[in-house]
Amino acid sequence: MKKIITLIFAFACMFSYKAMAIDSQKAEDFVKKVTTQGIEQIINSDVSAEEKDARFEKLFNEYLDLDYIGKFVLGRYWKTAKTTQRDAFIKVYREFNIKTWSKRFDEFKGKSFDFHGTAPSNSEGQIFVNTTVDMGEGAPAKVVWRVKDGDQLKIVDIIIENVSLAITARNEYTAYIKKAPNGLDDLIKDLKEKSK
Amino acid sequence: MKKSLFLIPILFCATACTTNPNGTKMKISEEETKLEVYNRAMFNFNYQVDKMVLKPVAKGYKAITTQGIRNRVTNFFNNLEEPAYAINNLLQGEVSDSGKSLVRFGINSTLGLLGTFDVASGWGLEKKKNSFDATMALYCTPDGPFIVMPIIGPSTPRYLIGWGVDAMADPLYWTLWDKQDEDWGVGVSYGATALKYINKRAESIALLDSLEEGSVDFYATIKTAFLQNRQKFQSLCAKKNNETEQQVSYDFDFDDEDE
Repeated sequence: MKKIITLIFAFACMFSYKAMAIDSQKAEDFVKKVTTQGIEQIINSDVSAEEKDARFEKLFNEYLDLDYIGKFVLGRYWKTAKTTQRDAFIKVYREFNIKTWSKRFDEFKGKSFDFHGTAPSNSEGQIFVNTTVDMGEGAPAKVVWRVKDGDQLKIVDIIIENVSLAITARNEYTAYIKKAPNGLDDLIKDLKEKSK
Repeated sequence: MKKSLFLIPILFCATACTTNPNGTKMKISEEETKLEVYNRAMFNFNYQVDKMVLKPVAKGYKAITTQGIRNRVTNFFNNLEEPAYAINNLLQGEVSDSGKSLVRFGINSTLGLLGTFDVASGWGLEKKKNSFDATMALYCTPDGPFIVMPIIGPSTPRYLIGWGVDAMADPLYWTLWDKQDEDWGVGVSYGATALKYINKRAESIALLDSLEEGSVDFYATIKTAFLQNRQKFQSLCAKKNNETEQQVSYDFDFDDEDE
């Protein structure tokens, strides 16, 4: 009987390990697909600014898990936020990111990413994909993509030259909420203004 | 486990970091609050100086120079940092890298027309950048608290000491050392420093504008980006002592509390 229980437990562990593991090659191929699409079909393409923004929005919604990132960047304020505030924040955070990043990604015009394998993550079902991009001057810039496996692979953070965008946003937003008279509501209002 | 990883830079931060780079916050003491108030005030002062003086001058400089000229200026000042790289590589036991830095300095100062062209990289001698800040980190010197300095901007005590020591290895500093009593010596010294920082500011206009545009609290953004970037020094001390290398963790911890 003990042996049977041990066997069942061992199988359960194997399956749960499989469920948590993320295929490194799959993750690398996924980031390759995102960067190629982003650079070739958006940044380098000869289309109008409106069309570029629309393509960027599609790419962003398809490949970035902004619900997950949004929850993280609010820190402890996510737990205390009302459902209406959470929904409003995620909506405006999505719009704000699409607007700022469609501009920022222009810096990668004519560039291509070199892939240098993956690194494990302590978080379940996540992995880091290491890349570099030659910016023309000096050593190539280090860009690490944090990929999460769920129903499909999604990017949850981009770490450029050791600076995590999600962690930066979290520190910034929590500092802002703490200072603002109306806390999270002020942040939502401010992000809405900046997204116009 | 993750929290214990985060504790290492916090301990190095002595008493005053209110936010560690990974998004967690510690209990804030009165001194920390005072330092944060000072940092924000100094950051605002620097921001106004930049807005009124440095940025307009950098914009003007950018308008009258081409990217090619600015690249030559950047290369010239980068080349003057090679002796500091050589010394720090040596202090860190990287003898081969130290030699490369010296050879690079020799080649680029002569064939590279006073360093304006990076000929050495074309010959396969890649830059081996290093600093006294990294040397101190390797010998386990604590970083100290985050502090915003007038004009210099975001720093830590170790960063400032490293910056000062590296500046003394600048060949221009030594060339002008005994010319300080002469007007031209003072002129060249101030002129070179001004050109170096105006050129740097001109090259970072787009980046800083885009960071500010995408920010609701610019001070918090700059602070966390600066501290995160310094995490690269985090593992040097443990590596030297053959301890388990302390990897920088970018994993999300949803349970971290801010206070």
